[in-house]
Parts: sequence; C-alpha cells; structure tokens
Amino acid sequence: MHEPGMSRPAPSPIYTLRGAGAPLNTLHFSCHGGDPPLLFSGSGKGAIHMWNLNTRRAEKVVEGHSGNSVVWVNTLRGTDTLISQGRDMRVCLWDLSEGRSALLDSVWTGSVGFCQCSLLETSTGTHLLAFAGQEIEEIKIIELPSKTPVCILVPDAKLGMVMCIKLWQPDSGPGPLLLAGYEDGSLLLWDVTQRAQLSQAKANPEPVMCLTFDTESLRGVSGSSEKNLSSWRLDGQNNLQLQDSVTLVNPGVSQLSVRGDGKLLASAGWDHRVRIFGWKKLRPLAVLQYHTDLVLSVAFSDHQDPQQRLLAAGSKDQRISLWSIYNEGADTG
Amino acid sequence: MEPLAPDTEVRVAVAQCFRTLSTSTETEDIISSLQTLHSFLDEGAESRSSSDQRAEFRRAHFTRTLQFLVSNIQADWLPGLSAAQRTELWDGLFLRGPPEQALLVLMEGISELRASTSLDLLISVTEQFLQSGRLAALLWSYCLLTAPSDSPQLRETLLARIVALPDLTANRLHLKNKHCFCPQQYYTLLASEMLTALERTCQALRDGTDCSLTFVSQTLGKVCIQGHSGPVFAVMAPRLSVCTRSDMVWQRVCWKLLQNVPQRWMESVLTGLVQAVSGPEAFGRIVGNLVITNKKAQFVITHKLLLLQYKYETQVLRTVLGYLSADRERRPLLIQVLRSLSQAWANPSAVKHTPLEQQLYVSKALLLSVRLLRDAELQELRSELLQCMLGGMQSHLDSSVVRIRHMGMVVGECLSARMDINKTKLKFEYDQDEETLELLSMMTPISGEEPEAEPENGVTSPLEASEKTTQNASSENKSKSDPDSDLDSDDEFTPYDMSADQEMSKESPPRYLRDCLEIFISSEDSVRLELSLRVAEGLVRKNVFAAREISVQLTKVLLHMENKYSIRGFLSLRQATMVALTVTDCIPVTQYLTTEFYSMNYSLCQRLDILEVLALAAQELSKPITAERSPPVGVPVSTDLTPYPGDNPVHWRQVVERRIQSKTKRLTKGVTQPPAKATPNRYAPVAGHFFFPLLSNYDKPQVTFDLLGGDHLVLGRLIHTLGLFMHLAVNAPIAAQMGRALLDFVWAVRYHVDQMVRRGVLFAVCSVFLSMPSQTLLVDLNEQLFETRTWLADVAEGDPDEDCRNLAIQSLVLLDKSLKKQLQDQQALSMES
Repeated sequence: MHEPGMSRPAPSPIYTLRGAGAPLNTLHFSCHGGDPPLLFSGSGKGAIHMWNLNTRRAEKVVEGHSGNSVVWVNTLRGTDTLISQGRDMRVCLWDLSEGRSALLDSVWTGSVGFCQCSLLETSTGTHLLAFAGQEIEEIKIIELPSKTPVCILVPDAKLGMVMCIKLWQPDSGPGPLLLAGYEDGSLLLWDVTQRAQLSQAKANPEPVMCLTFDTESLRGVSGSSEKNLSSWRLDGQNNLQLQDSVTLVNPGVSQLSVRGDGKLLASAGWDHRVRIFGWKKLRPLAVLQYHTDLVLSVAFSDHQDPQQRLLAAGSKDQRISLWSIYNEGADTG
Repeated sequence: MEPLAPDTEVRVAVAQCFRTLSTSTETEDIISSLQTLHSFLDEGAESRSSSDQRAEFRRAHFTRTLQFLVSNIQADWLPGLSAAQRTELWDGLFLRGPPEQALLVLMEGISELRASTSLDLLISVTEQFLQSGRLAALLWSYCLLTAPSDSPQLRETLLARIVALPDLTANRLHLKNKHCFCPQQYYTLLASEMLTALERTCQALRDGTDCSLTFVSQTLGKVCIQGHSGPVFAVMAPRLSVCTRSDMVWQRVCWKLLQNVPQRWMESVLTGLVQAVSGPEAFGRIVGNLVITNKKAQFVITHKLLLLQYKYETQVLRTVLGYLSADRERRPLLIQVLRSLSQAWANPSAVKHTPLEQQLYVSKALLLSVRLLRDAELQELRSELLQCMLGGMQSHLDSSVVRIRHMGMVVGECLSARMDINKTKLKFEYDQDEETLELLSMMTPISGEEPEAEPENGVTSPLEASEKTTQNASSENKSKSDPDSDLDSDDEFTPYDMSADQEMSKESPPRYLRDCLEIFISSEDSVRLELSLRVAEGLVRKNVFAAREISVQLTKVLLHMENKYSIRGFLSLRQATMVALTVTDCIPVTQYLTTEFYSMNYSLCQRLDILEVLALAAQELSKPITAERSPPVGVPVSTDLTPYPGDNPVHWRQVVERRIQSKTKRLTKGVTQPPAKATPNRYAPVAGHFFFPLLSNYDKPQVTFDLLGGDHLVLGRLIHTLGLFMHLAVNAPIAAQMGRALLDFVWAVRYHVDQMVRRGVLFAVCSVFLSMPSQTLLVDLNEQLFETRTWLADVAEGDPDEDCRNLAIQSLVLLDKSLKKQLQDQQALSMES
C-alpha cells in the first residue's frame, strides 16, 4: 500500500479541444501516417472533426449524416479513407486524400441502436465490417470495399438488442472471431466463418454498454450501467471464463479502451471521470477529473513514439481532454 | 669422577653457553653454544641429551635462556649470524620450547624494549609464534596437564598476556602494529586455536587419555569478559554447533568447557554464545543442562537475559526460551520464567516506570514462552496467567502512550487465544504496524529454526556451511520471484492520488452559512448534513461578516455534533470548520471554548477537541498571511484518508520541535533566506485570550472531570497546548507574563507519573525558554531558574522515557544559551557605559 500523502497528486489534462459544439460520442486517433498526428471525433450533431494535434485546431469538419449523431469513426488505409457510422442508419466511407472530403460510398445498416461497428483488415485493401442489423438481435458482416455480405449472426436464445461488438482475427484458427454484448448482459463468442456460437457468458446483470478485448492476452472487460467492470478471458478452447470484477465508485461506463502496449485500461464513466487501471491486474491507478458531464468515449493514441502516446476523452460537455499518463519518461520523472 | 646429577649437568652446560654467548666474539663458538641449547629441546633418538636433561632444561632453564637472549639482543654477534642461522638458532629457541614460557618472555621483552631493530626482531618472532600454531600447543599443553604445576599468579599472568596481546602490541607499536595482532584477526585466531585444542581433547578422550579443560575455559571466560565474545563466538559457535550434532564426545567436551568457566566470567560467555548460535537446538547441544547445574548460569539465562537486560535481538529470546523448553529437566525453569515474566508484564509500576523498549522486550518474551507451553502446563498456570492478563491489560490500556496500549492489546489477544477461555477470545482494533506484527509473530513458530546445513562427512568448516545456506536462500528467493514476475507488471506504475474519487451526490450544497447551521441543528437528512459539513469551512472563510454573526452558536453546535451517519472525514471536517470559526471571530469563540473546557458534562474527547481546535487556530493566526494562501474553500482533498489529528498528539509537537531545531541552527548558520516581509502578527494581540482562561480552573475537580486526578490524558494535552500557545507568542509583549504563569503552573506536576504529562511539561518549559525574552527570564525568574535547572538535570539523567530525557537536555541547552546571551548583552552594556 502506498501512503496517501506520498502519492502523486491527481493529474490534469495537458490540453483540451473545444468547439465541437455537441456531445462527443466517439474518438479515433490516427498518428501512424505522415505528419501531423490526427484525432477524429464524431459528435452528436452529425459532425466529424479532424483535429490536428500539433496546432490543436480542427483541420476539417465533415458533415455527413444529415445532422444525425455520429456513433463511430475509424480510418482505412492510413488516413486517406474515413469510415463513419451515424444514427441515420448509414455507414459512410469518405475520401480524405489531398484535402478532399468526398463521400465514396455508403452502406445502409437498418440499425436504430447505438451499437458501434467493428472493423477488421483481412488483407491489404479488404476489410470486414461488422454492424448491428435491422432485426434487433442480428449482426451483419460484410466485406469492404465490395460490400459483399459475409454472414448474418443471430443468437438462438432471446438476448435482446446487440449492444457492442468486437471483431478480430485470432493467431490460431482459420477465421475471424466476433465478441458481442447483448441487452440482457450476455456475452457471445461467434465464429464468423462457421457462423456458430462458440461460447456464452453472463458477464453483466444489466445491458452490456461497452466491451474491450486484448487479442494478445485474450482477456477482456465489459461495462454496463452498474458499478462493476466485469473481466473475462478466453481459454484455449475458446470458452469465455468470467474473472474477478472491479468495483467503481460511481455506476455507468460508456466506453473502455486498452492501450496498444497492453499495459493500461481506461474507462469513460458516467460520473464525468476517466479511470485508469493497470491492465494485468486491473489495479486502479488514476482517476482523471476534468469533465463536467458524462464521458462518452476514450481512446489511446497509436503514436509510434511511446512518449507521445496520449489518452483522449470525449464528453457530453462538448469537450475533448487530452492526457499524457504513464508514458515512459514523459510524466514519471 | 662420579657423573654429575642431570640437573647439575644441565646447569653447568647452560652456564657455559651463557658465558660463551656473553664474552665470545667467534661466530663458531656462538653457533655451537646455541646449538647446545637447542639440543635440550630436540626430541627423538638422535638427540644429544637425555630425557631427564630435557625435562630439567624445560623446567628450570628455558625461561632463563630466553630472558638471557632477549637481554643480550644488542650483542655484537647477533648481526654476525646469517639470516638462515638466525632463524634456525635464535628464533627457533622461542618457537620450540614450552610455549607458555616463550610467550611470557616475548611479551615481557616487547613491553620493555623501545622501538628498534631488536623490537622488530621480537615482533617478528611473536608473529611466527602465532602463525605456527603455538597458541594451540600452549592450550593443549594445559589440557594434558603436562604443564608445570604453576602458581595461580603465574597462570593469571599468562591468561592476561594471552587475552590482552592485541592491547599490549598496539600500545607498543602504535601505527606500526602488525595485521595479525589486530583484535579481529587475533581473536579469530585464538578462537580457532581453542577449537584445535578442543578437537585434540576429543581425540585424546576417545583414546582414553584424561584431559583438563580448565585452562581453555579460563581463556574463553577471560576473552569474553574483556568484550571480545563477538569475534570468538563467530568462529566457535557454528563449529561447535556442527560438531555436537552427532558426536557425544564433542557434546561432553562442550559441556565441560562451559562448566569450567569461572563464575565471574560465566555471564559474558553465555551472552556471547547465545547471540552467536543459530537457534535453541544448537544452544542446547553446546550448553547442555548447565542452566540446572550452575547457579550463575541459571541466573543469567532465566533472569538477567529476560528481565534485566533488553538490548538483545528477538532471536536471542527465541533461543533462550526454546532452550529452556527443549528438555524435560529444564521445563520447570520455563514455567518459573513464565511466572516471573507475567508478573513483570503485569506490574503496573513497571508499565509506568520502565522504558518502552524493555516492556516490548518483556512482552515478546512472555508471548514466546506462552507459545512454548504445553496444554497441560497451561492448565496448571491458567489462573495465574488470567490474573496477569487482566491486571496487565488494565495497566497497559490505562497508559497514555499509544505503543503501550497496543502492546497490551496484542498480548491480551494472544494470551486469551492461547488460553481458550470458554472458546472466546479477545479482539482489539489496532494498527498493524511493524511492532504489533512482530509481537503477533511471536505466537507462530518459525519453521526451520536452525538454518545450518546438515554437515557432510562429519565436519564442514563453518565458512562453507554458511556459504551453502546463503546460496540456498538466494536460489529459493529466485525461484519464488520468478513465476510472479509476469503478473507484477502493474506495479511498474505508481498510482496517482485517487482520494478525490468520491461518490457523486445529487443534492447541491448549501450556499449560506445560516443554512448550514439550520441543517446541523434540525436536519435528519444525512446527505444534506454531509454536504453542509463539507462546505461549512469554506463558507466561514468566504463571508467573514456572516460568520461572525453566528460564530459562537455554530461552534456550540459543532462541538456537540456527533457522527451519526458515519460521514467520511467527519472529524477533520468538523475540526476544520471550528478552527476557521476561531480564526475568524477570535475573542468570542476562544472565550466560549475555554469556558466550556472546564464545564460539566463534556466527554474527554470533546475536551481534547477543544484543545486541538484552539491549538490549530493559534497556529494559523501566528502564520503571516500570504497572498497565495491555499484556498481552504471546499473539502480538504483527502478527507477520508487523513487521520484525525486529535488521534496523534505528536504532530504539532513535531512541527514545533522542527521549528525549535531550525531556530537553534540559525544561530550558527547565519542568514540563508532573504528577510521575510513584515506582516502583522494576528496572534500576538489575542494570545492572552487563548492562554489565561485555560490556566484558571485546572485545580477545581468536578464530578465528571478531574484534571489532576485520573484524567491525565487531558492534562498532558492541556500542557502541550499551553506550551504551544507560549511558543507561538514569541515576541509578543504578553510573552513574559505567559511564561511566568506557565512555569508556575507546570511546576506542580513536573514529576507526574504519566510520561505524556511529563513530556508536555518539558515541552512547555522548552517553549518558555524559547519565547521569553532572555532579560525577563533572568530578572523575573531568577530564583526559579536555579531550581528548574536542577530539576531538568535530574530528568535528563534519570527519566525512564527517552523523549523526556531528550527534551530535558534540549531545555537545558536553550536555557544556557539564553542566559549566556543575556550575560553578554549586560557586559556589552556595562562596557559601553
């Protein structure tokens, strides 16, 4: 145990981004490609902001979903192609190369829910996109850019609406797997190629609001509207096993994110706070207090230099806060 | 002519040699006389002398010969010999004859000669003497009883020479002392020579020869009494422990060795040994049942080590008590020890008058011996133990020292758990700190109490054995830590302060102080109450005028408020608000609080709260107002984690003591900081309001509150607080008056039984000396100062409490400094006029 007097004072954000003018539902870093590092945010009023993290200004604003809330953004092929999902039941692909912001294509999902899409690169240029379908329990998977339907996954039992999904390619095994959280708190593991349920676990008593999964350690956590983060892992036979849960001070989690190096977990809390945990043992490490309303999204940057890796949190208070936390040498000295 | 008797013959021959050596200049004559002398030492068939002659030479002439050589060390022929001849003939005589005589002559020579080549020669011979194992030969010769039956005086001298050799050489050689004469080397050597003698003894006993260990025992005793038991037993204890494992002869030899140690040296031998052995088994094997047969040993082991001394490690206690419990014959002693330990532990006078460290030591011993007790024995001792437990716990829990109370709790818990009274046991709440954990650990046996390795093929050298164990230990550690290393990776991050992570509440906090007051008085809603409490301090400080209107009323409510809803950080929040009120509206609130301090129907806790609030307020007032004062608005950040300061009377005392330290240093250091900007002292004008009301009523006992009687906890705190007021009033005009009154007040209680009260008194005296102008000190308190000095000197010397002694010394220093300054000033003045 550390002594309260000895521990470092709670950190503050290194800077904030204002001006989105609406709640920030989703964040996505893109620091891989050429300069400068970028952060994409999707707002509740249908705007997608592209923030330049060097100038700390919005470099471009894409108004795409006819004023409907943007629930998810991601990028394909570096930063050239942007993909966004809105509550107008459409997933749009945007061409951002050479300063353009042209609509390339769009997919009609038919989903009225909040379930964010999940994207998986299968080979160069082709991706799988999983999203919630028109029926409340169904998950559709299509291939991009051809938009060929791959499969539709519907659970045998009544589990309610699909709340969150995660698509990934395991190291062992032929086809991609998909984790899905449902309204009744269940987690399902799907084999996409076999279209079969591999395993099921009742992770939360309430609807699963968000989940994150670390494909290296095969462990994940899921959050809901109550005070617990439940953690679980996949064993060798692809069985979901529930593990210890972590109790939070205040209930409600909107999003969870594991840092790229598998060392930290961040949670976006309804109590206006972002919580940081050590990923290995889920030891609470920090509580980031800045926002004055629900925190809706958290994201770790994928910057190649670990010292410049940031954490971004987007909130209903229309601000994005950026934090530099536990970056080797950057803030520990 | 009739052949001469052997003694005459030898005498004639030796005299002849002496004559030649002192007169002749011919090298050949010299050599042949030296060879003649050598021939009396040669053993074996080709020897030129008969055994009678040899014995006669050894008995009567050897010492004389060596003395002759030493006294003729300046003779011309000595440099004439070649190095080989000198080594062979001159040095050889010292190294081959009876070692005890050689050693005596050498030491005598060394102490008589001045620094010269001759001295160097003797030193090098002595070095050779030590290196060639002559000490072992010496000891062994005494074991065999072949040494001449010497007089006690001679033996005493010999012992003294053996034991004090490093001192003798160091005194003579000063910086040029040889490495092998250094105590560490020499005593290690002596220890291994003693071991050699013991080993030969064992061998001889197996062969059926009688031996005597008296001389070795005496040597051992003398070495130990002179304070060298450490290096000696560092060598001997591990070796003896290994040798006695399976060998009965070795065991007998060890027992005999210790039995023969003279009574007056027994204690130092035993204390040295008990610290050096690895555990009770080894101790038992080496010592045997000495504790039963030898009165002195019994006294040392069962009484002195446990009840009179308390400097030893816990391992020593484990060894001693484990030793007593290990044998049927020794167990009655364990029970006897337990009785006296429990009496010592429960003695209320001991709780008050013995140092805390000793009480801790006795507690450990008590728990250890209780653990070693068998159930049947426990039944027998039950009533006594129960009585001890109840009485002892009462006197421990009565104490005002937290550590003593904890000790009482832990021992009480352990005893009750061990005695199993109707399946119930005591359970206290105390901090799991190092001390309580160590005490608790006394009840669990240490597995593998003897870490020494099983010797292979009989004997392992102690060095090897110890190396082996450390290797084992390190490899165990390694294997233990390996599997965890992966999981530990969360620990690479130090957590940030997360104390602000509180539950969110839906209500909004009150915005006016009057609302807070209303809520405190009438609300039953715990959430509103908590919110009000959290904002109250900020509101007081924000709106001073509003706060002044209701300051006394709010103070009253807060003083009587109880933590009905277990609000986190309740005590510190309440306290902070009261402090803020006192600071904001000083005179009415202090008036109220100081009056209430002596009124009826308050709990001790409330009275302590009052003192604490007054002290903190005075501290805050005395601090200069700085522009960037940390805004006290809102909640103290880590409310639930800060321990309520009232639980720990030491904290502000430490603060003040640190200030005293910095003050005293500044006199010699010179100004290091830029001079502070002058700001008005807010405390100086109101110091009297804090101070004098508290002095007025202390001697009027009430039904519920008797300051000079049982409530000495409050008394101690009161005096501390008054001392603090005094200290903060430095440079205030009223300080002189306050100091006089305070000294008068504490004079009556300066020898109070409770150490907290005494500490408080000394602290108050310190602060008087610090804060009173030195002139007033000298002029006004002239007569008192003399008595005060005597009293302080007395405390500094004899008080059982270490803090009290330190504080007394500090007071003396301060007093002297103050007086000196005053006298110098006066001198300077008279010089000027």
